[in-house]
Amino acid sequence: MPQSSDDPAEEIINMLRTLSAKLKTDFSGQGLMVVVAAVFGAGLLFSSVYTVEPSEQAVILRFGRYVSTEAPGLHFKLPLAIDQAIKVKTKVILQEEFGFRSSGEVGSRTDYSNKSFKEESLTLTGDLNVANVEWIVQYQISDPKKYLFNAREVLKNLRDVSQSVLRRVVGDRIVNEVLTTGRVEIAEEAHRLTQEVLDRYDIGIRIVTVKLQDVNPPESVRPAFNEVNAAKQEQEQAINQAEQGYNKVIPEASGNAEKSIRDAQGYATAAVNRASGDAARFRFMLEAYRAAPAVTRTRLYLESMEELYGRFKTLTIVDKGVQGLLPVFSSPQTPSPAAEGSR
Amino acid sequence: MSPDRRLATIVVAFAALFLLNASVYTLSEWEQVVITQFGRPVGSPVNTAGLHFKVPFIQMVRRLDKRILNWDGYPNQIPTKDKKYIVVDTTARWRIINPLLFIQTVQTESGARLRLDGILDAVTRDTISNHNLVEAVRNSNAILERVRKKSEAQKTQELQPGSEEEEVTGEVEGIAVGREALSGIIIEKARAGLKEFGIEIIDVQLRRIAYEASVEAKVYERMISERQRIAQKIRSVGLGEQAKIQGKTNKDLQGIESEAYRKVQSIKGEADAKAIRIYAQAMNADPSFYEFVRTLEAYRKAIPAGSTLILSTDNKFLELMRKR
Repeated sequence: MPQSSDDPAEEIINMLRTLSAKLKTDFSGQGLMVVVAAVFGAGLLFSSVYTVEPSEQAVILRFGRYVSTEAPGLHFKLPLAIDQAIKVKTKVILQEEFGFRSSGEVGSRTDYSNKSFKEESLTLTGDLNVANVEWIVQYQISDPKKYLFNAREVLKNLRDVSQSVLRRVVGDRIVNEVLTTGRVEIAEEAHRLTQEVLDRYDIGIRIVTVKLQDVNPPESVRPAFNEVNAAKQEQEQAINQAEQGYNKVIPEASGNAEKSIRDAQGYATAAVNRASGDAARFRFMLEAYRAAPAVTRTRLYLESMEELYGRFKTLTIVDKGVQGLLPVFSSPQTPSPAAEGSR
Repeated sequence: MSPDRRLATIVVAFAALFLLNASVYTLSEWEQVVITQFGRPVGSPVNTAGLHFKVPFIQMVRRLDKRILNWDGYPNQIPTKDKKYIVVDTTARWRIINPLLFIQTVQTESGARLRLDGILDAVTRDTISNHNLVEAVRNSNAILERVRKKSEAQKTQELQPGSEEEEVTGEVEGIAVGREALSGIIIEKARAGLKEFGIEIIDVQLRRIAYEASVEAKVYERMISERQRIAQKIRSVGLGEQAKIQGKTNKDLQGIESEAYRKVQSIKGEADAKAIRIYAQAMNADPSFYEFVRTLEAYRKAIPAGSTLILSTDNKFLELMRKR
């Protein structure tokens, strides 16, 4: 306790002395007492009532010792500094951002520069590559008592642990998983592990969710990653072109094949039918021929010759006795005697 | 009451209050105290919250935090065992478990932080530089298992388009310790040293491990060349796939066309054979008549109109003409 306590005490006594002397002249002693009591009473009342908002719970300490946790509403406590009500927002879901800050907060958070955002988000992957991982953690104060009594800087603990855990999770994956397929899995595992560590600290925090935001390759590497994506497109395009060629050629060829087979089948039918027809005709003719072979043979021959010789534009008949080809007589256009004779 | 007596009462009341104030202190749930008498600790530390008494004026209250406290290390550049320069940013949680010892040895929290700085920095440096980089990055060998499975799958199957990028680049070597175990080693080593200051270390987290700036540039270069290699591979797989499909197109085309040819020929042949048999069967009844009839028919068909014919009178047709 202060060693210089004598001087102030004397001063107070002097002050009171002058005060009482003054008051004595203005008021009666009783009047003064009433005013003082009223003011004192009002002060007592004021300090013994408090309200707890719907999103809060209040932890009551008596001389610093925990008494109770109060739900939302109007409450009374022992006045002055005897009871102390500490309100904690237990229903509100709070959010911490890593590797970035929402635009609304950037100005107000002076303790983080852009550089440290980057430091927060640059993460080593299991194959010793680097990925830029941004994420958020949403949490709730699940136990206000533990929240207040078990750690001094709960938020800082949360931030430290979340960073450490996320790096651990990302560190067990290769860069491609981190950038593409692994996002959900990473967030879930980070959620679980962060909660585990915080439970070990027993600081009354419940992690609601961990979500990965932008996950990118580092700035200078990004074009190379884009090149890979472009290559994928090229690959797809090449394959599509080839497929297109296939689709263009094969169905047409199949159609043509089908057609030529059908044609052949047509040919087959025709050939067989023709043969059958010819055969039938021959059989009928043969039957009739056999009835009068000599006459029929002659008739058929003569009829054929008649028709045949009528077709010739020029018919030259050479007598057997003539030597060489001349003299000849020909019968152009005008019916030759022979032709006439044959008709 | 005379004014003097009233004044005396007030003075006594204030003096009593003053005395009470000096002999009573409150303790919050998150505090613990050591009572000192002329600077010397008296009795055992108090750590139950509430109202407590002490001897006024001669006993002093030294308040200490009972809660979990943070320690933040400076990001340190440390070479790993495999000579990679990395920046390690550690953070720790600690608690004052022996306030008496704490007061005697480090006196205040800032004093404690100095000790923590010294011990944790040194221990972290030792531990990191005694292990390879991967030990601090990865926690398990699960990644190796996945990589092994993948490469086996790639061996059995042919290269599938779309799977090239999954391939693991960079260095993936086995780990023997792992990130969490490294933290464990650091805690273990630091624990003994900090115990004599009345400090309990709860945990050490490797909050951040990053490449040192000059190394970082090289890593990025490597990443870029890796991606380019992968891109090239993807492209050539695409071209290969394209060639495959083109080949298949040719193969299928040839197959379809030759198959059709085969079918056409056999269908035609079969029909021709059938026709031959039919003709033969019919004509065999009288081959000479067939020859006669068919010859006449052939004449008619084979000799077009408007031809020129030179005949000898020997001809059977002209037989009569000659005889006349």
